[in-house]
Amino acid sequence: MPETITIDPITRIEGHLAIRLEVEDNAVSGAFCAGEMFRGFETILKGRDPLDAQQITQRICGVCPVSHGTASVLAQDDAYGLKVPENGNLLRNLILGANYIQSHIIHFYHLAALDFVDIAAITQYSGTDPEMQQLKAWATSQLSSQTIHPAAPFLPRYEGDYISDNDINLGAIKHYLQALEMRRLAHKLGAVFAGKLPHAASIVPGGVTEKVTAHNIAACRSMLTKLKNFVDHVYVPDVLAVANAFPDYFELGKGCGNFMAYGAFPDAADPSHKLLPGGLLVDGQTAVFQADKITEDIKYSKYNSASGRHPNQGETAPQPDKKDAYSWLKAPRYDGQVVEVGPLARMLIAYTEGTNPDVKSIVDNTLTAIGRDASALVSVMGRHAARALECKIVADQCERWLSALKPGQSAFTDFEIPATGSGVGLTEAPRGALGHWLTLEDHKIASYQCVVPTTWNCSPRDDQDRPGPVEQALMGTSIADKKNPLEATRIVRSFDPCIACAVH
Amino acid sequence: MSEITRRHFFKLSAKMAALMGLGATALPKIAQALEQMAAGTAPILWLQGQSCSGCSVSFLDSDEPEPLQVLTRYISLKFHSSLSTATGKTAMRVLNDTIAAGKYFLVVEGAVPAAMPEACVVGHEPFTKQVVRAAQNAQAVIAVGACAAYGGLPAAENNPTGSMGVPDYLKKQGVQKPTILLPGCPAHPDWIIGTLVHALQFGLPNLDAKGRPQMFFNRSLHDQCQRFSDYERENFAKTFADEGCFFKLGCLGPITRADCNLRLWNGGTNTCIKAGAPCIGCASEDFGRKASFPFYRKNELQNKGNIVS
Repeated sequence: MPETITIDPITRIEGHLAIRLEVEDNAVSGAFCAGEMFRGFETILKGRDPLDAQQITQRICGVCPVSHGTASVLAQDDAYGLKVPENGNLLRNLILGANYIQSHIIHFYHLAALDFVDIAAITQYSGTDPEMQQLKAWATSQLSSQTIHPAAPFLPRYEGDYISDNDINLGAIKHYLQALEMRRLAHKLGAVFAGKLPHAASIVPGGVTEKVTAHNIAACRSMLTKLKNFVDHVYVPDVLAVANAFPDYFELGKGCGNFMAYGAFPDAADPSHKLLPGGLLVDGQTAVFQADKITEDIKYSKYNSASGRHPNQGETAPQPDKKDAYSWLKAPRYDGQVVEVGPLARMLIAYTEGTNPDVKSIVDNTLTAIGRDASALVSVMGRHAARALECKIVADQCERWLSALKPGQSAFTDFEIPATGSGVGLTEAPRGALGHWLTLEDHKIASYQCVVPTTWNCSPRDDQDRPGPVEQALMGTSIADKKNPLEATRIVRSFDPCIACAVH
Repeated sequence: MSEITRRHFFKLSAKMAALMGLGATALPKIAQALEQMAAGTAPILWLQGQSCSGCSVSFLDSDEPEPLQVLTRYISLKFHSSLSTATGKTAMRVLNDTIAAGKYFLVVEGAVPAAMPEACVVGHEPFTKQVVRAAQNAQAVIAVGACAAYGGLPAAENNPTGSMGVPDYLKKQGVQKPTILLPGCPAHPDWIIGTLVHALQFGLPNLDAKGRPQMFFNRSLHDQCQRFSDYERENFAKTFADEGCFFKLGCLGPITRADCNLRLWNGGTNTCIKAGAPCIGCASEDFGRKASFPFYRKNELQNKGNIVS
């Protein structure tokens, strides 16, 4: 009989996720991902004014609201037949880019790194950095006090094989603090044109409502310079240092091996060309992506609506007590296949297609630096590396988008909402491929369906009983200490799950 | 604690005092509050229900005090699902021990699925139960954001989970606790941190009849709008991104009480109306509640053939 390990709640992700593992001879023989929270956004959207959608759908997720706002306005642009001015496309890219930078930084430093870095090393700090001294003084006074669970939220934790080199640990802790500052700055950068973040005010069908001025551009450039410096000289090197300390994790958490991206960051003048291209990699081969091949199964999901439908015909009828259902996530499939989405999928697809020379060279240089070939990328460390490299590519491109902006020219084109119509908005959230499908009747929303990155990655089993990508990535993993299943949390967190997004 | 650290402490206190509109005489008291908090005498337990984590992200977007100061000087954050290293059973142990020890301030982010307890489960426990036992042992409850305060979008018309805000839900369950509402989608970081520090050192801040701190929510956005003179001169915007007052496009500033037009977001960077978009009333009780009351009137005006002039 396999032994069961339950990790519930799995913290340091967005939202409510539980992982159940069946373990035989210390290896995972069964893995189940359970999304534990449901709100019903798709039902709430029915009958609403379509202009409510980009505001309502942003509230699906406070970590990547911009992606939902973007998918929603793309669907509405499509339904209303709009051509967005170049400034509008550039500002949408900049706001989304700023959100990518904050999301990737928070994921590595504040969510994932504490599975590898020994945070307790702060008590050994002997340097002169005032912030580090402050943290040390706080941790020391906490640990010598009578308070329950001193030094929370940084302790307690799973005990296990953290990095033993204290120089690396202390450097990473310093960067954890610096990263708090940097992700905040990235949101500030986005807010210059978004109005506020999280939950942007300015993203509307037809473009962006904020004005382009020379001062706005200069303000952004100043913040971006600091962010680029951090990404180039701190974030990317830290990921490689952690990867170097945990070489086994280039072999662990491989997953389903199929990848999909819709593509994101359209060229301002020619939106069909994207910085991060869309595409498919199935069994190592590229294939042409067709949006009509997406379906959602619900055999193990807590819904009683029809299974296997395209999002255009999708329904969301909850049945919380459904027999054998173990998750609020649906199980999306592409042409019946289990596929992984996210920065790794985007980098692998861009690398394989070779359409973006920056991606090709940065990936090749990194692989040379770590002495591995591209197959090593399909792993826990590969996901972290892909995310960091993508962060660099996006941050570098933000500079070019800023340079292309034309002060004084509008970023918004006015429009009328037709009585009927339909639209599709396909983009990429920091966590992967994001699609919104919209139909209109009598100037109102008749149907609205969202298929979200973590819906793909953390999906439960489908109608054919095939596990989702995270479930597959956990299979076969050796768990050294069942009370401290760090291996499992490292694998799950490498996907950067967002459950509020995934269920919505 | 070294002199330098202590001086730093006073500097931070000055920023906090400015944030809360307090005079210089309040400084020593604030420094004392921060030190007490750092020593863990006033723990914070932060729970998430039907949330998007947007208020947590907003909390981390605090400009002054910056996040490190918030975590090590301003609050003793016992548990927060997005930040805690503790996970799984360890996380539940921290949560349960904190509740057992009592005397904490309970921060809740997200709504409560009152009619469908399965719609939010944490550590095998329905959130509908967890929030009640956490509130029962708390000194006070702080409902952060539109969802916790009023139900927000999870409680909008046609929602399938019977979602509601924390104060209403606790009242229904017969739990009586001092409760502060910090609406907004998300709540502004200054509102969250300013309220916590005030509650710890000076007791609960002065609240309005609906439980909101007066220092942040005493006037309408409209009263403090940078486009108020446009309203007075009847210079109305025709569409998004236009110059002029957004009133005729459905701006909800007149019925929304919050100080964002003066305070601005993301460290004084910008705010909705300044960025060319009408206020959608995210700090109002009825935020996003009804299909018949959309955020913007653009669609309605267009269909009446009555584009404003």
